[in-house]
Amino acid sequence: MGEANRQINEYLNRFSDAVSYQDGKSLSRLLSVSSDSASLLSLADALNIFQDANRVIRQSEKHSQYTDILVPIFRALQSYRLRNLVESYIAFERASNAFIQEFRNWDSAWALEALYVIAYEIRILAERADVELASFGKTPEKLKGAGSFLMKVFGVLAGKGPKRVGALYVTCQLFKIYFKLGTVHLCRSVIRSIETARIFDFEEFPVRDKVTYMYYTGRLEVYNENFPAADHKLSYALTHCSERKEENIRMILKYLIPVKLSIGILPRDSLLRKFNLNEYRDVVLALRRGDLRLLRHALQEHEDRFLRSGVYLVLEKLELQVYQRLIKKIYIIQKQKDPNKAHQIKLDVIVKVLKWLQIDMDIDEVECIMSILIYKNLVKGYFAHKSKVAVLSKQDPFPRLNGKPVSS
Amino acid sequence: MATEQPKPATEEAKMDLFEDDDEFEEFEIDYELEDKEEGKEALQQWEDDWDDDDLNDDFSLQLRRELEGNAEKNESKST
Repeated sequence: MGEANRQINEYLNRFSDAVSYQDGKSLSRLLSVSSDSASLLSLADALNIFQDANRVIRQSEKHSQYTDILVPIFRALQSYRLRNLVESYIAFERASNAFIQEFRNWDSAWALEALYVIAYEIRILAERADVELASFGKTPEKLKGAGSFLMKVFGVLAGKGPKRVGALYVTCQLFKIYFKLGTVHLCRSVIRSIETARIFDFEEFPVRDKVTYMYYTGRLEVYNENFPAADHKLSYALTHCSERKEENIRMILKYLIPVKLSIGILPRDSLLRKFNLNEYRDVVLALRRGDLRLLRHALQEHEDRFLRSGVYLVLEKLELQVYQRLIKKIYIIQKQKDPNKAHQIKLDVIVKVLKWLQIDMDIDEVECIMSILIYKNLVKGYFAHKSKVAVLSKQDPFPRLNGKPVSS
Repeated sequence: MATEQPKPATEEAKMDLFEDDDEFEEFEIDYELEDKEEGKEALQQWEDDWDDDDLNDDFSLQLRRELEGNAEKNESKST
């Protein structure tokens, strides 16, 4: 009992000291409920033995001013230890609300680090609470609640003062919640605020938050098929992400590669091998070769994976570039044989080549594909409709994309 | 205005797309970029001039055989 009492008092003293000395780092450690740190675990055990901790808080002049934070934080730690995750979340949210009230009144940004921990913990605890709720057959709703709480936190940070540099961290936690819940349209209002509000200067935010922000907004641009913007954002994330965070680099590349492919830029094979992105190797090879069958085969083989990450449609559109490459190869081979006739490509030659690739298409379908290629400026030329011949321009018949998307 | 129309449908479709596990790992709170050279290396892993005229790979050789085979057949037909 004495030992339990001692541990509780030690925690309370550390808390009050951290606040009075404005020591954000120490304070943040005291709030990391899900960290399973040895000192917090034994504190939780102490709280479960010594049932009267709340009285200790209220009776102390030093601690009682933080009752609204401390009582629920103890509750959250205890419940977390006993694996009552919903209870732990509810208590932590209460403590967090009280913390925000105090935080609002502190002039300087000393407590930002502690606020980061709150923002992180509330998301993690909510996720775990939702798993528990689902296992009881109840509606998981805590993560959504954590999102609302974090929006409030965002509002507290979005001011003129020095605390504003913390807004991007909170934004990134919100992104993680919205992506998990499938409510990404909710990202829009925070993005607008970050990108247009005069109080924010993007360069001022910490690098780690900028990298995370660019990863998530880059993914949103992929889904909106805005490839130049996606390229810019994901490339930013890639160049600023430390190589030590290999899993994060891999995730960035998973989205950046289809974006680069769609603007005619290929990743080197060494990159794919280094980050174990083998699902893209055949796609890249298909583009290099002009091998339509290989592209279709690769998309089919990894269909689940590509659908899950939402890049399937982007990759499907690479077909046109593969056609371009294939026709260019036919053109080069013809040219080597007879330079004078090379720019005339008979449609039935293409039909036969496709048949060789086990793709059944009649001459009308091939004509249709050729018109799309011409329309999209992947091939320059015109049709001699009657003789079923595509006549290629003598100058630059296969324009490169040069980092621009295929025109729509 | 016409382009506004299909929006609700795509929004719904997108919801499903995000059920993946590509959640970005947290960086350490005091993470800062330690070495800018690293990023440059990652940038050099891309090729934009891959679309060359070199036709010596297996696929191109087979394609050539296919095209020349066809041509021969056609010629023999016409004679």
